[in-house]
Amino acid sequence: MEDRSQKRELKGIYRNVKISVRALDMMILGSIALILLVLALELRSPGLTVSFDSKGGTDVAAVTQQYGELLQEPEPPTREGYRFTGWYTDRSCDDAWDLELDTVRGNLTLYAGWEEK
Amino acid sequence: MTNPVDKLQRTAAEYKLMDAKDKRRYWTDGILNNALYILMAIFVVYTAIQKPNFLSLGSLANLLTQVAAYLPMALGIGGCIVLTGTDLSAGRVAGLTAAVAGVLLQKSDFANKMFTNLPQVTVGWILASMLIVVLIGAVIGLVNGFFVAKFSLHPFIVTLSTQLITYGIILWFFGLNGNNGQPISGLSREYKDFVGGELFRMGNTPIPMYALYAVVLTVLMWFIWNKTTFGKNMFAVGSNAEAARVSGVNVFMTTVLVHTLAGAMYGYSGFIEGVRSGSVAASTGLNAECDAIAACVIGGVSFVGGTGKISGIILGVLVLRIIFVALTMLGVDSSSLYIIKGAIILCACSLDMRKYLVKK
Repeated sequence: MEDRSQKRELKGIYRNVKISVRALDMMILGSIALILLVLALELRSPGLTVSFDSKGGTDVAAVTQQYGELLQEPEPPTREGYRFTGWYTDRSCDDAWDLELDTVRGNLTLYAGWEEK
Repeated sequence: MTNPVDKLQRTAAEYKLMDAKDKRRYWTDGILNNALYILMAIFVVYTAIQKPNFLSLGSLANLLTQVAAYLPMALGIGGCIVLTGTDLSAGRVAGLTAAVAGVLLQKSDFANKMFTNLPQVTVGWILASMLIVVLIGAVIGLVNGFFVAKFSLHPFIVTLSTQLITYGIILWFFGLNGNNGQPISGLSREYKDFVGGELFRMGNTPIPMYALYAVVLTVLMWFIWNKTTFGKNMFAVGSNAEAARVSGVNVFMTTVLVHTLAGAMYGYSGFIEGVRSGSVAASTGLNAECDAIAACVIGGVSFVGGTGKISGIILGVLVLRIIFVALTMLGVDSSSLYIIKGAIILCACSLDMRKYLVKK
């Protein structure tokens, strides 16, 4: 039976490589272990947190969502004398969050937009 | 064609004759050689338990759609790998051709239209645009092939430089006519229908037209690889260029043609990519070649050279897509996906080398 710890030569793109089958086994298992490790770390995290700053309105609880999902719209906040105009990604309310198109791509805070009644 | 039942019986009979050490080796070989398939199976089972709709018809349709989109590039790059080379420019070439196709086929009444004096978008103009971008891809492939064949430069070096040059051209292109690097959007309805229109429905999920084009291209590539002299020459050059030269194969011409054909495939990939993502940005196509190379190596197109099958490439693309669809459904972040992709490529290449050494 061949000795698998012996280094041997390859050809093609690997023509200068001299490696043993045993070392390759370690590389295969190592890379699989890396994949599983990354996955385990990734799945341990509960998800992405979207928090809401109602800017003077009633408090809105943060929600946890997975990457790439559409935002599950929370109960809209209320504020005396103002009308809620939607959620924005910036405090100055220039950039509206489109509930039908924008997907969650990281932890983020959304700001409430208000219009005087 | 051997009867699979006979083959299984023969394997079983051989297995009985093995001693304990051989048996252990038989199993380690089996497990290691199929490591990526086993990994995929684990992902599928885990995802199916966590997210039941992973096994729905809609998700299968999504998977097939993705395979159809990624397959053409892998089919192109496969030829370069058979020649013991590779092609790092594939993704950028697709990015460039996506941008060109997008500009040629913008809506006529779109406010930010880059070139206003283009013909009306008709089927004829769509086909002409497709031909133009496929030719652009083929020309870049021709340049790659020429330098690889003429000066025996390593394809890694040649295609790395064309990758960067192509990226520079992409950035130039996005700056034309006061576009200032904005993404190209406002693609015409006709173009979107031609590429992404509904072919048929699977459950509630439409299968786009480009699934059909992918089938046509696969059949075409299968024919080129298996039934033409050019295909046979490609395998001969891949397994031993010197021997092929001695037996009268035009190594220069074969190498140039393989790269040109590959470039044409990237051109086509770009043509559908714009419609797939709705608009084209300068980053479109970034790193797409990594997926294509990984798919080919997983599917048994060996970097050792001279071996590979179209069916293997399809399998490789499928395995890779199943893994990524599963991971995306599990909510794995794109940054982790890069690490996983890197590990998959390392694993696939180690497997590739292992298979060669164990066979030898």
